[in-house]
Amino acid sequence: MMELEGLTKFYGETCALRGVSLTIEDDEYLTLLGPSGSGKSTLLRLIAGLEQPDSGSIRLNGEDIASLPPHRRGLGIVQQNYALFPHMTVFENVAFGLRWREENPVTEEAEITKRVDAMLDLVGLSGFENRGVGQISGGQKQRVSLARTLVTEPRVCLLDEPLGALDANLRERMTLELRRIRDTLGVTFMHVTGNEHEALGMGDRMIVLDGGAAVMIAPPEQVFDRPQTVRVAQVLNAYNILQGRVHEGRFDHAGSMLPLPPNSEGAMHYAIRFDAATLVPPDDPTALIRATFITSEFTGGGVTYFLRGPDGVFEVERHLSRADPQVYKGGQELGISWAATDALAFDSDGELIVSSNMRGAA
Amino acid sequence: MSMQETTQKSALLKRNKKFALLAPGVIWMMLFLVVPLCMMIYVSFWTQTTFSISSDLTLKSWKTFFASETYFGALIRTIRLWLIVLFLTFIIGYPAALFIGQFVRNKTTQTVLLVACVIPFWTSFLIRVLAWRPMLGKEGAINIVLQKFGLIDAPIEVLLFTELSVVIGMVQIYVVFMVGPIAFMLARIDQSLIEAARDLGASSWTIFRKIIFPLSLPGVVVGAIFVSVMVLGEFATASALSGRKVNLLGNIIVTQVGSLKWAFAAVIGVVLTAVMAVVITLLLRVVDLRKEL
Repeated sequence: MMELEGLTKFYGETCALRGVSLTIEDDEYLTLLGPSGSGKSTLLRLIAGLEQPDSGSIRLNGEDIASLPPHRRGLGIVQQNYALFPHMTVFENVAFGLRWREENPVTEEAEITKRVDAMLDLVGLSGFENRGVGQISGGQKQRVSLARTLVTEPRVCLLDEPLGALDANLRERMTLELRRIRDTLGVTFMHVTGNEHEALGMGDRMIVLDGGAAVMIAPPEQVFDRPQTVRVAQVLNAYNILQGRVHEGRFDHAGSMLPLPPNSEGAMHYAIRFDAATLVPPDDPTALIRATFITSEFTGGGVTYFLRGPDGVFEVERHLSRADPQVYKGGQELGISWAATDALAFDSDGELIVSSNMRGAA
Repeated sequence: MSMQETTQKSALLKRNKKFALLAPGVIWMMLFLVVPLCMMIYVSFWTQTTFSISSDLTLKSWKTFFASETYFGALIRTIRLWLIVLFLTFIIGYPAALFIGQFVRNKTTQTVLLVACVIPFWTSFLIRVLAWRPMLGKEGAINIVLQKFGLIDAPIEVLLFTELSVVIGMVQIYVVFMVGPIAFMLARIDQSLIEAARDLGASSWTIFRKIIFPLSLPGVVVGAIFVSVMVLGEFATASALSGRKVNLLGNIIVTQVGSLKWAFAAVIGVVLTAVMAVVITLLLRVVDLRKEL
């Protein structure tokens, strides 16, 4: 178990991390989601020991490791650019940690071969031992980098945007692979990503980082269904966020009176998921706001419609398993409707207003 | 000429147009490098008499070269001095390059430091070499300072007009050619590689041995080629700092040409060229530059 407490890091005047505290359990898949510049790489580098925090502590099983050099921490980091040693073969890359680590290196060649082969087998790269790292594809490099770290049996494996440089197809496969590899080894993965799908799909728990602070730490379902703050909802890139204020029990958004979940008197922000909204004719009685159709994007399993609402772009997702795609013309007036129970309200501090009848509420 | 032939010809021209870019270089090198080189080999077989030279082919000059203690000795001396200078420029240059390439993270500072390395080149070669005399001489700066501090009683005479002074002078002049290419390669090493190695548990020394040094090797080879080519062909430093006591192949060429012994000068020229070719080939064996650069 690893505990971070009040980790703070400044780069000159800029605060990259402000007092991040969290607990990393043994044998879990943790994802760390944050937009670029949110401090996620900084957090990873602090944990790995590549940089020193200005304040705060890092404890691994009760022992303070904040002052230890990277290799004494029992952690492994898989860097974003893989950082493979270009002058070595795949085998030598993976064997590097075993062979050359300062503390109790493996000297028996047979033992090294056994462990490297087993690891290459686990990441699906058997037979690539003697390839140069310039002769393998991006996805394979990624696996070599992962194998190189995992073969040293770290207690926590830190992955810095591991899928960022892969194409979509490969990314999907590696997503499954990463989970399988982690399950096999039982090592804790901390996976940093800027991609909300990755963070939601892979983690047992996820951390949402924004502006250098951990704004939410919860299982993905909970983060997605009940984002704790309006910023979390924004980072998830799945919510339309509307500004306004409560007026006679309804949410006044640029003149449209929207239904509120119960007990949300002080609401200042209002969020509705892309897929919870539906498009209806503009004069439909269920239409809550009116919007102008801009364009649509076919995503394979569904269509995302982009509309110009009273105050900014409004997105509506429609899953094709439920219905045929509707075709609209640019500039066409439409109404948008949703169920009041799907709406989330946030107070003036951006905190979610928890209401009793909310879907998925505990 | 038929229509078809014309189009074929113009197509051929089009395809090979890019080679036109090479023409000026190729012509220049043919005229001023390849032809003179062939000429030199040819002349080395001419018959040399005291005051004249004739184009009757003979091996006499070659035999003299390998039989004479003076000339063959000069070849050995040249090779020995070259090895010493190469070793010293590497030993002195590498740490400097390591500092510039790895420990100075600011690109501007890196450039400033590299430019600082070539400041000595703002003066002429001759001045740089001759400036060593008041420095190293019997009544030179070093001896005066050492005597003033009472570190020595009598001046150290070995400092000037010896092989040592030639080595000092050459190392000072050529070390920068070692620093430049190595610093360039070192600066190109991605910091994440070093972080990864550290994260995997390697000590700084291991990281240097297993990651940094191997990746800087192409720079070492390029630097070594620069230094080798220049040192092997040297004559000015040797004659200025050795009081003509240390004769390298270059010095002998100068003397022979001076006394119009063209055939003999050509022999030494060919030997020197062959030595350089061997040295460069061996250095290139160390590392596959095509792969690394």
